[in-house]
Amino acid sequence: MASLLDVKGLTVKVSGYTILENLDFSIEENELRVLLGPNGAGKTTLICMITGQYKPYAGSISFAGQDITGWPPDAIFQKGIGRKFQVPNLFETLSVFDNVMVSLKGRRKVFSTLFQTLSAEDSDRIWEALEFVGLADKANEPADTLSHGERQWLELAMLIASDPKLLLLDEPTTGMSEEGKRRTAELIERIARSRTVLLVEHDMHIVRQIAKRVTVLHQGQRLAEGTLAEVMNNPAVREVYLGKRRPQ
Amino acid sequence: MFTQSIITQFFNGFSVVAILIIAAVGLAIIFGVAGVINMAHGEFMMIGAYVAAVVDKLGGNTLLAIPVSFAVVGALGLLVERSIIRWIYHRPLETLLATWGVGIILQTIVKLIFGPELYYVGTPKFLAGGFRLIGRLPFPWYRLFLIIVAAALMALVFYVIFHTDLGLQVRAVRRNRAIASCLGIDTARVDMTIFVFGSGLAGVAGAVLAPIKSVSTTMGFPYAVDSYMVLVLGGVGNLWGVVAGASLIGEAETILSFVFNNVIGELLVFLFIVIVIRIVPKGIFGYYERR
Amino acid sequence: MASASGSVLAKTIANRSKRTIYRTPLIPRPVLVGGLFVIALIGAYPYYGTNAYVLSLLGKFLCYAIFALSIDLIWGFTGILSLGQAVYFGLGAYFIALSLKLNYALTHPTRYGGKIPDFMEWNGLTSVPHFMQPLMNLKTAVVCALIVPTLLALLFGVITFKRHIYGVYCAVITLAESLILQEFIIEYQAYTGGFNGITDYSNYVSPRFLWFILAVAIIFFLGARLLTHSKAGTVLKSIRDNDLRAEFLGYNVANYRIFVFCVSSFMAAAAGAMYAAWVGLVSFLDTGPVFSIEAVIWTAVGGRGTIVGPFVGTFLVKGAEFFLSGVLAEWWQILVGGLFIFVVLAMPDGIVGAVARWGARRRLALDNIARKDELKKYYFQLRLRSERSAQPEKEAP
Repeated sequence: MASLLDVKGLTVKVSGYTILENLDFSIEENELRVLLGPNGAGKTTLICMITGQYKPYAGSISFAGQDITGWPPDAIFQKGIGRKFQVPNLFETLSVFDNVMVSLKGRRKVFSTLFQTLSAEDSDRIWEALEFVGLADKANEPADTLSHGERQWLELAMLIASDPKLLLLDEPTTGMSEEGKRRTAELIERIARSRTVLLVEHDMHIVRQIAKRVTVLHQGQRLAEGTLAEVMNNPAVREVYLGKRRPQ
Repeated sequence: MFTQSIITQFFNGFSVVAILIIAAVGLAIIFGVAGVINMAHGEFMMIGAYVAAVVDKLGGNTLLAIPVSFAVVGALGLLVERSIIRWIYHRPLETLLATWGVGIILQTIVKLIFGPELYYVGTPKFLAGGFRLIGRLPFPWYRLFLIIVAAALMALVFYVIFHTDLGLQVRAVRRNRAIASCLGIDTARVDMTIFVFGSGLAGVAGAVLAPIKSVSTTMGFPYAVDSYMVLVLGGVGNLWGVVAGASLIGEAETILSFVFNNVIGELLVFLFIVIVIRIVPKGIFGYYERR
Repeated sequence: MASASGSVLAKTIANRSKRTIYRTPLIPRPVLVGGLFVIALIGAYPYYGTNAYVLSLLGKFLCYAIFALSIDLIWGFTGILSLGQAVYFGLGAYFIALSLKLNYALTHPTRYGGKIPDFMEWNGLTSVPHFMQPLMNLKTAVVCALIVPTLLALLFGVITFKRHIYGVYCAVITLAESLILQEFIIEYQAYTGGFNGITDYSNYVSPRFLWFILAVAIIFFLGARLLTHSKAGTVLKSIRDNDLRAEFLGYNVANYRIFVFCVSSFMAAAAGAMYAAWVGLVSFLDTGPVFSIEAVIWTAVGGRGTIVGPFVGTFLVKGAEFFLSGVLAEWWQILVGGLFIFVVLAMPDGIVGAVARWGARRRLALDNIARKDELKKYYFQLRLRSERSAQPEKEAP
């Protein structure tokens, strides 16, 4: 069975520094994959490459059977890949409702949006997304009045509304309280039931809560892949995360 | 004959390049580190030139005018920074508009004080005349002086940036402002020092410009625009960008203005810059910054 | 029983407050009322006004206001600061001025007997240059005045926006562009009237023309409002707020910017064309960066991103200039410079913007109060009902 996302031999160099080296990586359809790795391993870079932010030095990326290497971000989005940034990227002066409305899956061309009106179904889908993350009663507030946790959830709602086939979440629980993290983890699990999700996360509690398959990156290469238990027992992974055991 | 004229123009261009370097390096540091676009840069140069005119009237010469202009315009820069700029760092479009206002005010005040007529500042006597470079090519001593001043300024800036504590702080703030302030660097003071230093350099540019251009309240604006073009073409963040941009623009303008006329020359330089920017959006030496 | 009805009631409250989305109406009532008043004030001036100079100022200010509106569209809504919008205004103006002058010269020969514009004669031309012949036809000139600047804007947009050149770089490049056009006009004075500009082709100040300009202003205003209230308008605002996020949500940011830039330039060109005919004098000053930046400040004073703001700001600042510059002479310039600084430091939202924000905050606060009141009312009734049901039934069921 062909994977939904297939990354082959990806090499990324920025300012002479190699961030990803000949990386092979793939995700199956409807998977919930967690991407782990210490800082600087290249997790965010991998997401940047998949979503088209930079052009790779070498290698290829294909999605649903189509080669998307080097495509611009807006085209990749329309193919069905959505990205949540580590730092919530919202439209600050727009209301919460409008933030989601702009993200709604639909036509993106200038002349289409010129004459588009908000249909009842669209409105319902926006409300659904807002209710899903619990921001429905803040619908009229401008986005810059939200707390940090709420901003993360708003971005999540925007991505749900955009209905992607593959959702890339880059540390969506950064800066949240324990309660918020748990809720976010639940939301992610529910989202993953109907889509493919790649989650980058540092918080091991959350990872333990929802991870099925895990990939560990280290210095731009794939170190280990498997279930969480397998990966955590891998000596190379332990060394990278916990350090070598010093001889007594 | 034509080739000979082109070669002459090439050497003539050295003056323009030197002045552009002096004018643009201050702007480059200010924009690169503090994120401020000073639309009054031309007016700062103009005031430096007027200071040189006053020094000249009082019996001094250009060599004396340079440090005096540096001090006067630097002080002016401090005033502007403390009252206006410090509230709007890192919002280049806002500083653009606010400093445009400063420029208007400065122009008007100078016009009120000195009147609208032109002033003439002579070149210092020991720099008058020139020598012959290759064959019969005339090369004014003043041009050599300009080149020396430009080179000395670049050397000074390089030294300050790379071999002093202040320069270390500047580089740290340029790289990562948040972490720099966590490490105890007073970023506000760094910004202020940069702005004052850059303003002083603008004053110096005006002072060395005064002997070869008539001093008027509107003299600074074209040089200011050219300085921005130097930044756009050469890139911000690397001092070599200033040298590269100034050299390309200065030479291109001189030669093309000779071959065609002033206006077509400027147009061609502008088109050239636009084409280069299309290929390298951040300028020749601008490094690729992560979004 | 009480809890079940409580949850139903709670859902009703929740639904009721959830389902209303506040949208600024296409024309808010204060704007409608104020606008109609101002339109009447201006439109009726020919009847009650006696000062011909004021009449000419009204038309001029309206053209300026449309120009400021064009800047608001790209700057206030899309976040592109262009210091060279006057290029499009000036091109529109020059096309019309040339056409009118060429036609005027036919019927008003110069002292040398020539039937060509005076500035052409002074520069040794003996007949109208070939490439200007089509401009003798006013209709062609109007088409050129509107289309050529828009095409130029399209070209500029494709060159800069497609390569993600925004912000300061864009501002500086537009500044240079504007300066170069100015110098071109001065240099090639045989064709453009040079430093003096194009003059003496008789202006067309008249009530009818004033109403025409007013009508055009109203149409552009409504059109701009419709644009900003459409989904495209919200997309433009989202691009202004976070173009990275917009791009990653599938919007081709460059295309949107190019589109709004062309619309803006079309408006600026139209304003310039009407200006040339109304004022009867066009010069390089109308194409330069000083004029462009002035218009930016009018927009900023009025309130950027509000569509109403540019009109308010233009009339306010230009009106103040009319009253004060005679008295203040040079000091007026210092005031203008100070205005730039003041607007940036103290008035980032402008007048209309500040009013709008105050209104929005008030409305949100009222919404919250109203909701709290409603909730209080229902929970009170809930408590009453539960207390009543706790008491023994007095009546037979």
